[in-house]
This record gives sequence, C-alpha cells and structure tokens, in this order.
Amino acid sequence: MNALRRTTSIVAIELWLPLTLVIIWWVVSEYVNSLYFPPLSVIMQSFAENWLNPENAAANLVPSLQVIFFGYALAVIGGIVLGATLGLVRPLERAVRPVVEAMRAVPGVALLPLFIVLFGIDQQMRILLVAYGATWPVLLNTLDGVRGVEPTLLDMSRAFRVGRARRLFGVILKSAGPQIFAGARIALAVTLIIMVVSETVGASGGVGYFLMTAKSEFRIASMWSAMVALGILGYLLNIIFRIAERYILRWHRLQQARLERTS
Amino acid sequence: MTNASVVTQRSVRMVQFRAGRIVWPLIQVGVVLLAGGIWWLASGFFPAGALPPPGVVLARLGELMLTGEFWIAVAITVGTFALALICSILIGVPLGLWIGSSRFWTESTRLLFDFLRTIPPIALLPLLLLVLGADFQMVLVLSIAGAVWPILIQSVYAARQGEALLAEMAASFRIPKAWYIRHIFVPGAMPFVMTGVRLGTTIALLLTIAGELLGAAPGVGHEIAAAQAWYDTPRMYAYVLVSAGLGLAVNGGFWSLQRYLLRWHPSVREEGRR
Amino acid sequence: MSNTASPETPGTSTVIPALEARGLGHSYGARQVLEGIDFSVLPGQFVCIVGPSGVGKTTLLRCLSGLQTATSGELRVLGKVAREPQPGVALVFQDYSRSLMPWSSVLHNITLPLRANGVSRKEAADRAYRALAQVGLADVVGEQYPWQLSGGMQQRVAIARALAYNPTVLLMDEPFASVDAQTRADLEDLVLGLQRRLGLTVTLVTHDIDESVYLSDRIVVLSGSPARVAEVVDVDLGTSRDQILTKSSAEFAALRTHVHGLVRAAAAVSPSTGTARTVVPS
Repeated sequence: MNALRRTTSIVAIELWLPLTLVIIWWVVSEYVNSLYFPPLSVIMQSFAENWLNPENAAANLVPSLQVIFFGYALAVIGGIVLGATLGLVRPLERAVRPVVEAMRAVPGVALLPLFIVLFGIDQQMRILLVAYGATWPVLLNTLDGVRGVEPTLLDMSRAFRVGRARRLFGVILKSAGPQIFAGARIALAVTLIIMVVSETVGASGGVGYFLMTAKSEFRIASMWSAMVALGILGYLLNIIFRIAERYILRWHRLQQARLERTS
Repeated sequence: MTNASVVTQRSVRMVQFRAGRIVWPLIQVGVVLLAGGIWWLASGFFPAGALPPPGVVLARLGELMLTGEFWIAVAITVGTFALALICSILIGVPLGLWIGSSRFWTESTRLLFDFLRTIPPIALLPLLLLVLGADFQMVLVLSIAGAVWPILIQSVYAARQGEALLAEMAASFRIPKAWYIRHIFVPGAMPFVMTGVRLGTTIALLLTIAGELLGAAPGVGHEIAAAQAWYDTPRMYAYVLVSAGLGLAVNGGFWSLQRYLLRWHPSVREEGRR
Repeated sequence: MSNTASPETPGTSTVIPALEARGLGHSYGARQVLEGIDFSVLPGQFVCIVGPSGVGKTTLLRCLSGLQTATSGELRVLGKVAREPQPGVALVFQDYSRSLMPWSSVLHNITLPLRANGVSRKEAADRAYRALAQVGLADVVGEQYPWQLSGGMQQRVAIARALAYNPTVLLMDEPFASVDAQTRADLEDLVLGLQRRLGLTVTLVTHDIDESVYLSDRIVVLSGSPARVAEVVDVDLGTSRDQILTKSSAEFAALRTHVHGLVRAAAAVSPSTGTARTVVPS
C-alpha cells in the first residue's frame, strides 16, 4: 500500500506542472487569436489526422525512420570501431589528432549542401549525412572510454593471460560502456537534428519534409502537428535508448548505487 | 652501473624527449598533408566541379578573406552565436541552480524538462521563420532555444551535487547564506555547470549555422547555401572550411576558459599530464 | 589517579561550564540514539568522548556544535541555552579534504568565516597568518591550494581555520582518524600545546583510547543503545604530557586498561552494526 502511495505521489509531482502548462496553452490559444498560434484543439485534430491515421502516419514517418535507423546504426558502429582503434593505438591517435579535430569541428548542418553536391538528394545522402554527424560524439566518447580503462583491470587481464580479443570485448569495451553510451545519447540528438535538416531539400516524405512543406503552404495547424510529432518522436526514441542503456549497463548502475550508499 | 653509462642513459632519454617534441608535430603535419593528398586524388573521381581540388578551394578562401562581405558574414555568425550563448547561460545557469536547490521544483520540472529537451530545436525553425522572418533575430532565438537546455539541465544537476560537508562547515562557522552562495555553492557547482555550457556551446554554433543555412538569414550558413544554389562549389567548400575554423576556435576558446575557471579541479589538474 | 564512578551532577561548581549537556537526547524519527546525556566541560579543560563504534559519538558532537538541535534536553554553551551554532565555538571535521574549499587558497579558506562574520579583510588576514604560525605552517602555505598539501598539513589548515575564529570552545570530530600514525602523534601534541598556551576548552571525539587518555583531563565514555554516559573518567597525568614518557608510565597503562574495559563492556551491550554506517538524518 505504501509503495502504491509513493508511486502515485511521484507521478503526481512530476505531472502537475506539465499538465497545468498544457491546460493554460489550451485555454489561451482557444481565446487569443493569432495567425501563427492556432488553438491547441485544432492542432490536436491535425495531429490525429496526419500522424495517428495509419496510412498518413506511415507515409510521413517511414522515410524519417529509415534515415534515423540506418544513419544512427552506422554512426554507432563506426564510432565505436574508430574510437576504439584510436583509443588502443596511441601513436595513431596522436598522428591524426589535428585532422580529427578539424573534421569534428564542422557543424554537421554546414555539410548539407556539400553532401547534396556529392551524393545527390535521395535517402542515401541523408543517411550518410546523419551517419557523419552522429559518428563524432560516439567516436570521441569511445576514445575517452577506452583510454580511461582502469589500468589495474588491464594488468589483471594480462596477468591471467586473457586473450586479446576477449580482453577487448570482455574488459575494455565493457568498461568503457558508460562513456560510450553517453556519446550514443548525444549522437541520438544529433541524428534527429540532422535528419530534419536533411529532409528540407529534395525529399518527398518524412517528418522534416512535412514540416517545411506545411510551413511553405501556410498550413499552420499541420506545421504545429509536425512539431508535436517531432517532440514525441524524440521522446520515444530517448525512452527506448534509456531502456537499452538500463539493460546493457545494469552492472554499472548497481555499482554506482552501491558506491553512493557506502560513501 | 658505471658513471659513464648513467650519464649516457640520461642523455639518451633527453635526446628522445627533445626528439619527441619535434617528431610528433612533424608527423601530424604529415598526416594533414596526407589528408590533403587524398582530397586531391578524390577530386578526380567526382563529376566535374563536385569536389574541387584543395588548391582551388584554398585559393578561393584566400580571395574571399580579402572581401568585406566575407568578414561581415563571419561577424554576423560569430556575433549571433556569442549572444545566443551568453543569453542561454544567463537564463539557464541561475534558473537551473535555483530549481536544483529546491527538491520540490526539481521533481516538478523533471518530466517536463525531460520531454522538452528531446525536441529537436530545428523543429522550431519554420515557426520562427514565420514569426520573426529570415533575419539574425530568428537565428538568435533558435540558437537560444536549443542551447539553453543542456545548460539548464546540467545546472539543476549541479545544484544537487554540492559537497554537504561544506554546507555544514559554513553552518558551524555561522556563515550567512549570501556568503555561502557566493563562495561555496556557486564555485562548487561550476564543474558541472561547465559540462552543460560546453554542450550548449556546440549546440549554439550548430543551430546558428543551421538557422542561417536553412532560414536564409545572413551569415556563414547562408553563404554556404547560396554558393551551393549557384553551384559555385569552390566558394561553398571555402565557407565550409570557415565553419570548421569557427568550430575549432570556439572549442579551443572554451577549453582555455574551462582550464582557467576550473584550475583547482582534479580533472583539470591531471590533464597537465596528458 | 581517581575515578568518579558516576556521571557528574551539573551546576554544583561555582565556575560556569564552557559546555554543559543537561539530559541531552536525540532521536532520528522513532529511533532514539542518545538519551539523558549529562556532563559538563569546565573552561580550559580537555575532554574526550569515547565509545564503541556507532554508539552515537558523532551525533553527540553534532548536537554540541549546534549543527543539530537535540530533540530532548538542554545544551548550554558558556552558560546560555544554545540550539544553533554559537560564536565562540569552532568545529574541526574528520574529513579535512572535504571540509576545505578546493577552489580557494589556504588563506581564503581561513579568512572566509571571519570575513563572513564581519571581520575586515586586513584583520582577517592577520589572524589567518597568526593561526598558520600557531599550527606550524609557514606563511607561504597561505597561497597554496589545499590539495597541494599533505593530509597532515590539510588538517593543520583546518585547525588554523578554527583558531583564527578566536573560539573559546574547540570541538573536534575524530580529527586524526584519517592521518597516519606519525602525523597523528604530531597533531596530538600540536593540539595539546595550543590548548595549554591559548587556554582553550577542547572537546574531542575519538575512537582511539590511547589518544583519549593521552590528551584529556577527563574522558566521557558512552555506551548503550540508546547511548548514555557510562562513566566520566578523571585523568590525572599532570599538565605536561610527552608521547614517550607519558605513554610508558604505569598510570597511563592503568587508565588505558580501565577505559578500554569500559568501552569493551559497552560494545558488548550495544554491538557495532558493522562497517561504516553513516547516520544521516533525512
């Protein structure tokens, strides 16, 4: 009974402010007429039409999900591989450091025109652009994580003659896990931004495309519905991410909790 | 071990050390040149004009740097970015620290912030374009809208990380609250706040350029988009290099600032050994 | 060497005690940790509080310092009822590295409590340098950061901070538990010397019985759950103490055995609950 009461109070305290704000938004937008801020009720209607209706939703969402999925997967895998390589082979990292710094300093968005010129305007280009931009946080964090492995662990695994491959996957990557996940989380945010940006040119579907088209066709409520959809999409992806992180890093979570208790 | 061999050992090590100081930068320059070489080779493989060779791009960059419009574009981008970052800090840090010091408000805003921070800021671009038009104010607001979140959220987190023992020490010496806040609370929160500011800096620059590029507001981002529209690829690549330069300058500047402000922090103290 | 076998009755002397606990008790929610603590510390005395692990020594000190208001009973500091930290009472913590501000110089660490209480910059600096000298640190240490110093030096800085505050009463919470044995001996002598020279009243919590006998004029032994004063032991080893001579004397051994016996008996009654359980009120 106590646990139930505790859960309800946690839920209540985290919900009251968002709910209040939504209600205020609803009421204000209903009665104050503004061209660019339609009533929330109208937005919700448009949202249901465009994003909850299965056919429309599919047409609007699938292209974006494609870009997100493939781009992010490439970025994470590429980032981990490259980051681990650089982290393990010190001289190599040192040698390529200025080039890496320069490449990562380019804001991914600035490369859109460049990628259009090089790769055209289809999904391929978008996936590559997302992959390029999202690789950096993963790469850099993996690099840091691999370098920061507790030296005692390395000594221990060498002393016990643990094979190289085992050592890499079992000890080093696992140990760098939390750091890698931190990078992957940033990469997710970058993925979303670049995905939207890439759909503003030459696309024929997707959330970003819908957003920009709605604006240029002055369908304001639809534009807002796309904004809401993007917000929800971002939030859902984050939740999935967190669940994966919870599962894969459960050892870390428990260790941290233990440390906090005994300090 | 004889004296002679000790001396030779020491001088060998010194030579190695000195050599290391010269060799590595040389190697790095070598790699940069190698990258340039790969670029040059690759330029042959793409359809005409898609990837101009590095020499052409650099020459163009040199020309551009002699024009007034180049510097105006850079100034606008840098100015918008800086202003956006400052505003984000002025909003995010005090608000975040204040929320973080109250359990009630931390809990109340947790879900709300969690949701709001996952909205890709770029989603606001169309709305802002409609309301504010294609000018630097629009870019400024867009940039703030994105950069404020990591700063705000890290500041909330920072407020909760304070060393409890220092609060007790302050209480035992009857130190008034204002003094505690200024001399203990704020400095203690700085390391965490800086993490947020670093992320905010990256996002602010990214959004500034994105806003200019997509929203046709003046600045480096716009120059890139315009060059691409006219298929003036050397000019486009030149401006992309400029954006990379801006990114490097901003990163470097931030690290210097962090090293100064946090010179007492263990993580910065140890970095000297890197 | 004489022992009083029962707790002191407060208020029977004509000198106002520097610190007086009357029926002091403290509970965290439903759990009573301290009960009916009665003892007093006369001005200029050095009193140690000992007891088995986890009995509540730190809780008692926190109540004495005013960081916690005792849930029952009364605390009097220099004759006045006290429920919060008093001017004239300075506290030295066990964990010196976390009680010193890493972003400030040693000098700033020492002067902050003074300036925050209205002392002018110049006078605060003067007092700080004087305090540094008193704890045996050179002026130049003032410009360094705490983390540049060894553990023993950091604790000296914490003591200097307390001294610069010009306290009448010095409270210390296991101040030497986190330093090595040699440094501990040096710091014990430092505090003893300061107390004699400056006429301070010192109340020190420790788990080290040798230390408590070496330093004190009286030892308050806590035991039981909830903790009470089991006994107040008078220590008659004279004013001048020496690490080697005093500790090898017969009187020292006898006292030590007696206190050890008390603590061991106390531990049997209220067994320690195991590894470092830090009790933090919610």
